[in-house]
Amino acid sequence: MGLVGIATEKILSSFSVFLFLTILLLAVARRISTSVLLFGLQSAIIAAEVFATAFQEKLPEAYIVGALVFAIKVVAIPRAFFLLVKRLKTVRDVKASTTPTQSVFIAAAIIYLSYAAVHSYGGAVHVPDDPLAAAIALILTGAFLMVSRKKALMQMLGLLVLENGIFLAALITTFGMPLVIEIGIFFDILMGLLLMGIFTFRISDTFEHLDVSKLRKLRG
Amino acid sequence: MLLLLPLAIPVLGAGLILLFHNPRAATRLALLLGGVEIAALGAVVWQVHAHGELQQGRYLRADGLSAFFLMGIAIVSGLVLIYASGYLRHMGEGRFSSPRWFYALVFLFLFTMISVCLSANLGLMWIMMEGTTLASALLVGFYNTEGAVEAGWKYLIVCTVGIAFALFGTIVLYLAAVKAGMNPGSALDWVSLMNAAPRIGLEPHLVRLAFVFVIVGYGTKIGFVPMHSWLPDAHAEAPTPISALLSAVLLNCAMYALMRYDAIVSRSVGAAFPHILLLIFGVMSMVVAGLLILVQQNLKRLMAYSSIEHMGIIAIGLGLGGPLGLFGALLHTFNHSVAKSLLFFSAGNIRHNMGTLRMDGIQGMSRTMPQTTAALLVGGLAIVGLPPFSLFISEFAILSEAFAQARYLVVIVFLVVLSVVFGGFAYHYFRMLCGEPDRHPENSKLIPSEYIAMGMAALCVLFFGVRIPYVFGRLLQEAMAVLR
Repeated sequence: MGLVGIATEKILSSFSVFLFLTILLLAVARRISTSVLLFGLQSAIIAAEVFATAFQEKLPEAYIVGALVFAIKVVAIPRAFFLLVKRLKTVRDVKASTTPTQSVFIAAAIIYLSYAAVHSYGGAVHVPDDPLAAAIALILTGAFLMVSRKKALMQMLGLLVLENGIFLAALITTFGMPLVIEIGIFFDILMGLLLMGIFTFRISDTFEHLDVSKLRKLRG
Repeated sequence: MLLLLPLAIPVLGAGLILLFHNPRAATRLALLLGGVEIAALGAVVWQVHAHGELQQGRYLRADGLSAFFLMGIAIVSGLVLIYASGYLRHMGEGRFSSPRWFYALVFLFLFTMISVCLSANLGLMWIMMEGTTLASALLVGFYNTEGAVEAGWKYLIVCTVGIAFALFGTIVLYLAAVKAGMNPGSALDWVSLMNAAPRIGLEPHLVRLAFVFVIVGYGTKIGFVPMHSWLPDAHAEAPTPISALLSAVLLNCAMYALMRYDAIVSRSVGAAFPHILLLIFGVMSMVVAGLLILVQQNLKRLMAYSSIEHMGIIAIGLGLGGPLGLFGALLHTFNHSVAKSLLFFSAGNIRHNMGTLRMDGIQGMSRTMPQTTAALLVGGLAIVGLPPFSLFISEFAILSEAFAQARYLVVIVFLVVLSVVFGGFAYHYFRMLCGEPDRHPENSKLIPSEYIAMGMAALCVLFFGVRIPYVFGRLLQEAMAVLR
């Protein structure tokens, strides 16, 4: 068994709980930098989960994917976000359109909803309920963050949380997609973030704010 | 090797163009590269036609369906490059808004769209589909005005989220395939999936769930209502050649991806489920876009809503299925893209000469800009589906299939929307073309690049309405054979 084996088992049995925790914390986070940290933490949990799966199922390719997750989502992306926050000199508040209390209730509802969805489909997939519910809850939370936070940076972060959920769903149902495809998807995410970064600069240049709810010239 | 050529040329070309700071040199090089690229695409199409499908490694493949869409890309991108060479003459040398950046991004955009059509693997297809969004977002925001930045941001966010759902759908389909006993390495290959489709059908819940996510995901890029919110903004704020590329090539590429999934799902769980979804999205898009056409103020937004309507028509053709429905849908993708390019080119000329695209600010255009008016009229008559233009043929085919299957609800909606759209276009055209001209543009004559591009597009819509060339007909048959 060994230490690694014990750690693997612990990770696999308890990571969903930690993910639910990050979801609830994201709902109440009021600063952009806190949210970024939470996203980094969430990605670290997912990276640990990838390594644990790789160890348990003896999939050498998955180690590479785990290393990519760690390098990109735990190190590179949060750093880039901190740089953006600094350079854009924006207000650090996330500008939520819901109060923290409402957000927590919505996050709780999302978690409940995910379990309900998993119960109806779980039989077809033969995976434990908790991880799948966590994946779906991440997807929904990402979408919720995107619609309820007005800062452009928070929309980017919501997208990343949503993508984390999709990645997790692929991981627990199929042990991940083929390696080449995974790398392609990572490349797309990086390029997408780079472009969104460029656009946040352009928005702050042309409009002198970063509040995307005020972008409403084009309608109908 | 042949399949690598049309992918390598635009990527290397994009890099090469960036080295040319002189706008004239960049434009000439872009035209030259475009010509080479079209020749390469033509060679691929011809090889597929003559010798059947081509395969390059595990990830690239071209069959009849890819060849048909590649041909469309080649024709429209050729027209767009010709038109752009004249259109960009007014553009100054900004930091990123110079002709060389424009052409470099256009070639990257073309690269992603061509690779969507050449992907043998559904995962790679998704990657390239997301790539189209990334490559074109900067083009949508190219002018860097308030509107352009807003449209670019909206486009980037809405399409990235939408396409994330398509990724989820792809993963679910992959899961169903792996559970059905397929080798994980090949469970995303389209051909293997088609061969194993009956076995995958043993997991009907998963396959259906996958298709729901895929139709929402790729439907966002196609512009199905209610996921269409990015489309009018992006089309209206992008430079005109880009509006034409978005409407005439990008939407078709997304439709192509959806067709691939539809074929697998139809074969594994039966055609009823995917086809009813296609019909629902098609009818919704037609009705909503048809009504919104009536109230538009901006000419390019009018064209954008008309694109949504036509994507609805294509979805209805696919959803009806059958030989005529499929024939009509495929033919309509091509016809719509040519006619819509012509309309966008005309809109670009109007913007140059009148300085506005607001339709209530334009009067008596037929006297001051006769040539552009002619192009606008030909495009308009074609796009509302009147004979003898090509769109009439494809719409008629879809309609006959609906009659043959006795789907009278679809028939009624289809005909009512077509008449509403006709009324809308007639109303807008009347206000713009007739009346006393309120301003006289100094130089409304078309320059060579404009009348070559517009003339070729106009001839094409007219000619295809009279007869379909033999080779084109064969390619269309081969594309249909792939899907059945």
